[in-house]
Amino acid sequence: MKKALFKDSIREIKYTYKRFISILLMAFLGVGFFAGIRAASPDMVDTIDTYYKNQNVYDIQIISTLGLTDDDVYALSNVENVEQIVATFETDGQISIDNKEIITRVMCVDDLNSPVLIEGHLPESKNECVVESSFLTENNKKIGDTIELNIEDSTNDEGESIPYLQETTLTIVGTIQSPIYISLDRGTSNLGAGKVDYYLYISKENVNANSIYTNIYIKVKDADKYTTSSDEYENYIDEVVSNIENIKSERENARHDTLINIANEKIADAEEELNTQKAEAQEELDKARKEIEDAKKQIEDGEKELQSNREAVDAEFTSAYNKLIEGKEELENSEAELADREAEANKLFEDLENQKKELENQLEQTLQAISQIEPQYNEVIEKLNSPDLTEEAKVVLEQTKSQLESQLKPLNQAKTELENGISEIESGISSGKAEIEDAKKQIEDAWQELEENKDAYYSNRSSAYAQLDSAEEELKSAKEELASGEKKLEDSQKEFDEKITDAEKKLADSRQEVANIENPKWYILDRNGNSGYSSFIQDTESIANIGKVFPIIFFIVAALISLTSMTRMVEEERTQIGTLKALGYNKLQIISKYVIYASLACIVGSILGMCVGFVILPNILWEMYSMMYQISDIQISFNFEIGSMGLIFISISIIGATIYSSIKELINTPATLMRPKAPKMGKRVLLEKIPFIWKHLKFSQKVTVRNIFRYKKRFLMTIIGIMGCTALIVTGFGIRDSITRIMPDQYEKIFNYDLQINLKSELTDEEKETYISELISKGEITKTVETYMTSGTAINGENREDVQIIIPKEKDLLDGLVNIYDINTKEMIEIPDDGICLTDKVAQLLNVEEGDTITLQDTDDKETQIKVSYIVENYVYHYIYMSKNLYESIYNAQYESNVILADCNFNSDENEDEFVTNLMKEPEVASVTRISTAMTMMDDTMQSLNYVVVILIVSAGLLAFVVLYNLSNVNISERIRELATIKVLGFYDKEVYLYITRETIILTIIGLIIGLGAGYFLDYFIMETCEIDMLRFVKIVEPLSYLYASLITIAFTIIVNIITYFALKKIDMIESLKSIE
Amino acid sequence: MSYIEFKNVCKEYKMGEVTIKALNNTNFSIEKGELVVIVGPSGAGKTTTLNILGGMDNATSGKVIVDGKMVTKLKNKELIRYRREDIGFVFQFYNLVQNLTAKENVELATEICKNSLNPEKVMEQVGLKDRMNNFPSQLSGGEQQRVAIARAIAKNPKLLLCDEPTGALDYKTGKQILKLLQDTARKENMTVLIITHNTALAPMADKVIHFKNGTAEKIEINEHPLPIEEIEW
Repeated sequence: MKKALFKDSIREIKYTYKRFISILLMAFLGVGFFAGIRAASPDMVDTIDTYYKNQNVYDIQIISTLGLTDDDVYALSNVENVEQIVATFETDGQISIDNKEIITRVMCVDDLNSPVLIEGHLPESKNECVVESSFLTENNKKIGDTIELNIEDSTNDEGESIPYLQETTLTIVGTIQSPIYISLDRGTSNLGAGKVDYYLYISKENVNANSIYTNIYIKVKDADKYTTSSDEYENYIDEVVSNIENIKSERENARHDTLINIANEKIADAEEELNTQKAEAQEELDKARKEIEDAKKQIEDGEKELQSNREAVDAEFTSAYNKLIEGKEELENSEAELADREAEANKLFEDLENQKKELENQLEQTLQAISQIEPQYNEVIEKLNSPDLTEEAKVVLEQTKSQLESQLKPLNQAKTELENGISEIESGISSGKAEIEDAKKQIEDAWQELEENKDAYYSNRSSAYAQLDSAEEELKSAKEELASGEKKLEDSQKEFDEKITDAEKKLADSRQEVANIENPKWYILDRNGNSGYSSFIQDTESIANIGKVFPIIFFIVAALISLTSMTRMVEEERTQIGTLKALGYNKLQIISKYVIYASLACIVGSILGMCVGFVILPNILWEMYSMMYQISDIQISFNFEIGSMGLIFISISIIGATIYSSIKELINTPATLMRPKAPKMGKRVLLEKIPFIWKHLKFSQKVTVRNIFRYKKRFLMTIIGIMGCTALIVTGFGIRDSITRIMPDQYEKIFNYDLQINLKSELTDEEKETYISELISKGEITKTVETYMTSGTAINGENREDVQIIIPKEKDLLDGLVNIYDINTKEMIEIPDDGICLTDKVAQLLNVEEGDTITLQDTDDKETQIKVSYIVENYVYHYIYMSKNLYESIYNAQYESNVILADCNFNSDENEDEFVTNLMKEPEVASVTRISTAMTMMDDTMQSLNYVVVILIVSAGLLAFVVLYNLSNVNISERIRELATIKVLGFYDKEVYLYITRETIILTIIGLIIGLGAGYFLDYFIMETCEIDMLRFVKIVEPLSYLYASLITIAFTIIVNIITYFALKKIDMIESLKSIE
Repeated sequence: MSYIEFKNVCKEYKMGEVTIKALNNTNFSIEKGELVVIVGPSGAGKTTTLNILGGMDNATSGKVIVDGKMVTKLKNKELIRYRREDIGFVFQFYNLVQNLTAKENVELATEICKNSLNPEKVMEQVGLKDRMNNFPSQLSGGEQQRVAIARAIAKNPKLLLCDEPTGALDYKTGKQILKLLQDTARKENMTVLIITHNTALAPMADKVIHFKNGTAEKIEINEHPLPIEEIEW
């Protein structure tokens, strides 16, 4: 290169700095945007790669449906390239805080997947744990607090329950961030509301090791040499995965065999036990039966005895009765006899009495006689006894005495006789009377006796009969007892039979079950099996995709603009080129001036673009994504490859355009070049052939129309430039529109409820009903719907997606709280009974259409085939709507609602806060989800996407500006003579300005209109490319956005036009006098 | 007072440190309806005079009065109106708008002018009735200059300024153009000012102003101007 030429090149820059800057700006924008967007994706991948390497994250994960054992670990350790194996326990647990049920993923701290310690220290003993920081802030806990972690008992191979943890009261000793959960989604759980809220890590010692691991993590040897998710990495890992696949079925079978053996042993034991028990029970039954038989016999004997006893008693009493009667008769006879005798005796007594009276008379006589004698005698005696008595007296007296005595003697004798007779009679009477009395007495006694006998008879008889009766009664009850005993026996027999058949059936069932023990299924997952990781990688891919499209627009526009600029430049220097050529410079030397000019602009612009692009764009994108992911800070690198690629692209565009336009001029001879270029021929335009329109145009309009079509290149450039700019702005706003539409579409149109009240699982239907009416009576709640919500995995072939399943209690009665619209007809539909309604994003991800069948895996890993009846509108997360009937028929289970969706009527946010806080305290409520909270959370996430909109609008605006400014410059420079002439002709500044800008305005409008259309498609494409799996973007651009896009474009046009105005004003009219160069 | 007065007009250009005096105390006057030819060598100040007279440039000092209007005092906008209504300009290189037909080029001027003439009539007048709808590129140099003259006179200006109108034309065509200008001046009683470096043209004028070293050195008045046909050079 000659020195003079080089100087010329450099001076050219100074003189035409505007042109230089506009080319530089094109390069800056093109490369900056390209480099920035292109680098964002690898930067993000680098970030996660470093993060994963630092945290020693697994390469391959193995989960088995029936657990993993040490044997599996050993087998895996022999697989080629397996470097490190960690077998560990992961499960879901429940923590109750303030009446809230929190579901947490419980993991163990291991050598692999080490969590990042944010605060405190890792758990060192059994009763320590570390949690996410959000757990602390959201639940008002701090380090040092304790929590009660409830985990369902685990079951060992023998089927025994073992408490999962040794210590359930855990002290929070730190906060961590897990590399396993980089996204905010924590996955699903079969506990509680079916969603995992947090994760926490415990020490591995705290798990009651039963040597059945839930997960095995594998680190592949030398995998760290590759960047995660790169093809090399994926291929390398795939190799190891296929090696593991080789031992997979063997291991699965081994596990299967172990389980079958254990189960079979158990069955054998159970069978034996059954048999012995059966025998024992039979024996007992037999014994019981014999006893009953004996009892029966006894009763029979008893009955016989009773019968004979009764007969004997009957006989006895009959005879006794007869005897009594006889006795009575006898007694009566005796009585009669006695009465006769008495009468006789009385007669006799009368006689005797008479005799006695006679005797007594006699006696009286006698006694009189005696009494007459006796005093004589006594005188005698007395005289006798008198001592003075003489003997003669005495003898006289003695003689008198003897005479008296002899007289007395018969009298005494008679007296005695009489007395005897009297006493004899008296005693005869009295003895007779006594005798009669005796007899009477005897009879009386006999009566007495008889009476007694009678009484005795009766009492004996009644007691005897009572005895008999009681004996009979006894017998009867014995019989009854026997009957019930028999019945009991029968029952027991029946029961026994039933039990035995039952037990046998059970045994048969368990046998069947054993036969059915499914082969355990190993899932060998690489990192893509981690949903957070894979969605992150997907996001980096969609950014990469955007990086493929957007910069193209910039490059195209840059190339076009440079082409016009450089063409103009070369044209302006036509004479100089001719001169140089005439002076003997060769083409290369001449071109090199322009190439240097363009290259400098390119290189400087590109480097500036890289500096800005590499730093700003990835950071902004990261800022956006960091709302959704928890990873460390982004690692920005100066990506030489991308940088040079951008530089090469932009250089090809700009320098290519330069070379092209130079060569176009250079092929002419120096003589031609030195002559002024023949002005472009004026031409009639098509519109003139339509006199109807043409005639109605004003003169100035006609001029404009002609001019527009005269400069076709500029025409195209302007339109393409404005179109690109408008399209980008429309896309920017469109993205915003799509994003802002998600919330109202999801949470007003589809989910029209305010609160999702999750009920405690133990509530009965009645309790729920009472509670609901209680809720409604509170006034704030206007409408409720009971539903069952659970989660599951929808599977179609290789595609798996987690979904939420909603099963309303009343088949079609979501009552306007959840509205289901068919995706095609946009009409509201009812949940059918023959299939499910699947939301459209998951249908797309699973590649499912209406009428297809998918596999639905529930939280217990049970898989069911279900027809997809409808694909329905939805924007956030994935849902399946299922009818209660279908649910019951599929799962063969009783429907139980667990959620109340409520439509509320709050006066204010505080009102809502208070209401929800109180609601949470109620014993029926497990947790409350507020749509407003969900909306705010999502809004925050979405807010970050506004950055993209700003980037797009700013870059599009810059693009528009550069394009318009550049074109305007070219336009003026190309037509400077014409403009000077019309100024001389006396055009006012405004008229001159309009003369030029009228064209620009029309072209801008055309570009704008095309751009609005193109923007719609670009927006559609971008939305399609960068749609997050969890979301469905509404591909819509609001009319207002078109308006904004138009206004922004117009604003840029106006700015450029203002600049143009001053540029035009500065045009020197003297130019018109100069000769044509 | 004459129709046009040029009094003590000076024009200086500053080129960095150096000040170049393009016009130095120039004085002349022109009567209405006069055909004036300004002659002189390159750099004598002819074009500067024309520019100042045509309202395209400002004088550094001095007065320029056209039809009683003090041009040197006019503000930018008034200056434009002056150009627009009072001045017709014919350029050396015609300066036609390539994208407009001959007639449209004339219309370009008449559109903005109040007392304009009918473009078609003017076209007829300049003898281009049949070429009215042709684009400049389809016309010869002479024809193009006729269009330019038509454009200038169609405005019905007070003053027709012509800067080397024949400079880019051959002898014969140049003669035709000069004839057209002379005829126009005579017929329409228009004041016409022609700049040329060709002194041979002087006899055609009513007044000849000789420029030298930035000033009107000599002013001749031709009592009997010759028709252009009689002039040879």
